[in-house]
Amino acid sequence: MFDIWKNVLAEIEQKISPANFSTWFQDTSILSAENGNIVIGVKNSFYVKQLRTRYYDLIKEAFISHQIPVSSLDFEVKTKVKSKIRAKEITKSSSPTTDRVEHIKVIKTPRLTPSKPSNGLNAKYTMDNFVIGSNNDLAVSAAKSIIDSPGSRFNPFFLYGGPGLGKTHLIQAIGNDLSHRYTDYKILYTPISDFYSEFVDYVRTGRGKEFSQKYQSLDCLIIDDFQFIVGKEKSQEEFFNIFNNLYQRGKQIIVTSDRLPSQIKTVDERLASRLTWAGAFDLQLPKFEDKCAILRAKAELAGADIEPEAIEYIAENVNTNIRDLEGEFSTILLMSEVRGLTPLELIRNGSVSVSHTSKLRPTSPKQIVDKVAKYYNLSTKELCSKSRVANVKNARQVAMYILSKELNLSTNKIAPEVGVKDHTTVMHGIKKIEQDLKLNFTLRDQIAEIKEKIYG
Amino acid sequence: MNIEVSCNKLSHALNTVSRVAVGKVTLPILNNVLIRVDDKKVSLITTNLDMAVVDYLPVSSSENGVITVPAKLLTEFVSNLPKSETVKISASDTKVQINAGKYSSTINGAPADDFPELPELDEEKAVTFKLGIDDFKVSVGQVIIASSNDLTRPALTGVYFNTLDGTLAIAATDGYRLAEKKLIEKVESEVKAIVPTITLQEVLRSITDDVEEIEISFNDDLVRFRLGEVEIISKLIDASFPDYQKLIPKNNNIHLELDREELIRTTKLAALFARSVGGSIICEAATPDTFSIKSVANEFGENDSRIETTVETPGRINLNSRFLLDALNAITDSTVEFHFSDHVAPALLKNKNNDKYTHIIMPLNS
Repeated sequence: MFDIWKNVLAEIEQKISPANFSTWFQDTSILSAENGNIVIGVKNSFYVKQLRTRYYDLIKEAFISHQIPVSSLDFEVKTKVKSKIRAKEITKSSSPTTDRVEHIKVIKTPRLTPSKPSNGLNAKYTMDNFVIGSNNDLAVSAAKSIIDSPGSRFNPFFLYGGPGLGKTHLIQAIGNDLSHRYTDYKILYTPISDFYSEFVDYVRTGRGKEFSQKYQSLDCLIIDDFQFIVGKEKSQEEFFNIFNNLYQRGKQIIVTSDRLPSQIKTVDERLASRLTWAGAFDLQLPKFEDKCAILRAKAELAGADIEPEAIEYIAENVNTNIRDLEGEFSTILLMSEVRGLTPLELIRNGSVSVSHTSKLRPTSPKQIVDKVAKYYNLSTKELCSKSRVANVKNARQVAMYILSKELNLSTNKIAPEVGVKDHTTVMHGIKKIEQDLKLNFTLRDQIAEIKEKIYG
Repeated sequence: MNIEVSCNKLSHALNTVSRVAVGKVTLPILNNVLIRVDDKKVSLITTNLDMAVVDYLPVSSSENGVITVPAKLLTEFVSNLPKSETVKISASDTKVQINAGKYSSTINGAPADDFPELPELDEEKAVTFKLGIDDFKVSVGQVIIASSNDLTRPALTGVYFNTLDGTLAIAATDGYRLAEKKLIEKVESEVKAIVPTITLQEVLRSITDDVEEIEISFNDDLVRFRLGEVEIISKLIDASFPDYQKLIPKNNNIHLELDREELIRTTKLAALFARSVGGSIICEAATPDTFSIKSVANEFGENDSRIETTVETPGRINLNSRFLLDALNAITDSTVEFHFSDHVAPALLKNKNNDKYTHIIMPLNS
């Protein structure tokens, strides 16, 4: 059918001027042709109007002369992206007048937002999009066991770990899977802060009992960020009662925190020990391979084509947590969309610099000196010698500079680390590097690379 | 066809419409202006099939009819006539007779049947916004500077009209900087459409002193601007605009308030020494009270200028001086807020006294 269009065009070409033909029929194609209802795709609305009013009969005849029955002929703009223009329903009372400057009144119709389920869960978190790695496999297998038989072996399920490692994702995924599998299950997800503000509200309006009833009727209670319970004694007491009630009746309880309950100040010992009855599961920082797996999964989800080298680069350079990892990744994807370069090209030409490095990583002065020496192909002994050879001297000064900037060491303390007697030599060295950095871009890159090695 | 019209008004209308009617060689009729007379109302129409301009003209006496005339020739002829004259245009067949006092000429026109039909907006479905002309002019001017002319990236060659949480905003980016202006608050319709920069430039040029309000309507793949007697219809760009909200930095830790004039002067001085390094200048904030801009041109020398201001967090950023100047010229307040960060993140500039305009610039490699 679609080859026919070429023949039809050839026919039309003979009947109109070359200028008209090349203007109006260039970039046209058949979009659909069902039961003789032919739709022709054109560049924009200017072409729709012209073809419809001026060339309708001509096109129809051309089809018929190729023995193609045409019951209707229409023209549509071929779009790659549909512009989203939506007027809310037009009021009938102020029917559009023909006056050409009359403003068209629009009224608001209820907006279609995805209705938020009352259980507080966000449907975007599922077990399927949780990337399993060596950093979380224990917690995940426990989670799966809970989904298979809630309220039994891993009850309560206590999950802890630093920010941005996937605690919320994992427990919400458990909640979502439970609600899919056991449709009549009453599940509630709530951050502890919402729990206590709700509690305060109920108590203030004299409905404290209602609050207990509400929570005690649940089949699964999921509490996020439990560490914020600090200093809320009354809420803690209430939680303790609800906890006991649910636990005795074999209802599943899931709690997350950034540390173990025993390390949270002011948490009652009885509660602390109860929370970890069934063990405490931790989420750890992902290893390099885990990070690559997370990024690959994310790329697949976004339908983005990203080079393996780019993934490895990001994975190597983000050492804080998964949230930062995903954040960097999205930024790079977006930049690549805006700039029209692939992620790897962006990284190569330095348009993006990824560096999320935990400053908390313990680094000794010795390690830094070793790394600097290694970077400049020297032994630590050479670096710390009295040599005045330019490259050795330079490496020594770089080491002084990094020791001072990264560890905040005083010049007095730096001196012995680099084999220098006098702290003024260190002062001079640091000043020299600071001066050089302003103009010497190679040096700046070198120092950045060394820092990467130190923290990497 | 027969009309009598003041030379001044005709010349003005022809100037407005004729810019669109040049350059298309594929279809010669597109170089013509269509003159249609319908009950004492004359419309002059041109199009290049991406956009069309219509100007309505009041006339003293007329006889209905329609003809097309080469736009450039007619415009130049009329603009050279004495402004006080009354011009008489009459057409029989395709010969167009033009008389103005002692001056007369005959121009070979072409029948209106060959002139393309213009698309129309579906008034019932269209989404329409109205806006004071000054507001429109300033806002579009502030944003259009960031748009790109790289035709391989069509989405960036326009200005993005988009509604978010009931606010209509316009935005443009060329990949190195981004400008956003909140145009109308509390709109009830939804729009996500990219209007070609070329169209907006044409709209800006068509603004005259007597226009007070502009009406903007969107429907399907079309946008229409109405200002006074002028109507501009254009296609929209068929591409998706990047989700730019994510590009606006939220965590910049260095916040400065600077006198705009002083910052412009300092930037211009630094720019002189930044020519050989692609306009790269170093902006540095040092505690407690110094903001400085430095630039180094190895063969000519270097520049270092300071502005006093309160600095709480020190840091530095390399920026393109031209982009910084563009941003500062788009800012209207006398005090500008300048936010940047000591790690690689875009710099953000805005007016001190309102949040409507946001300009961000990507840092350069240092």
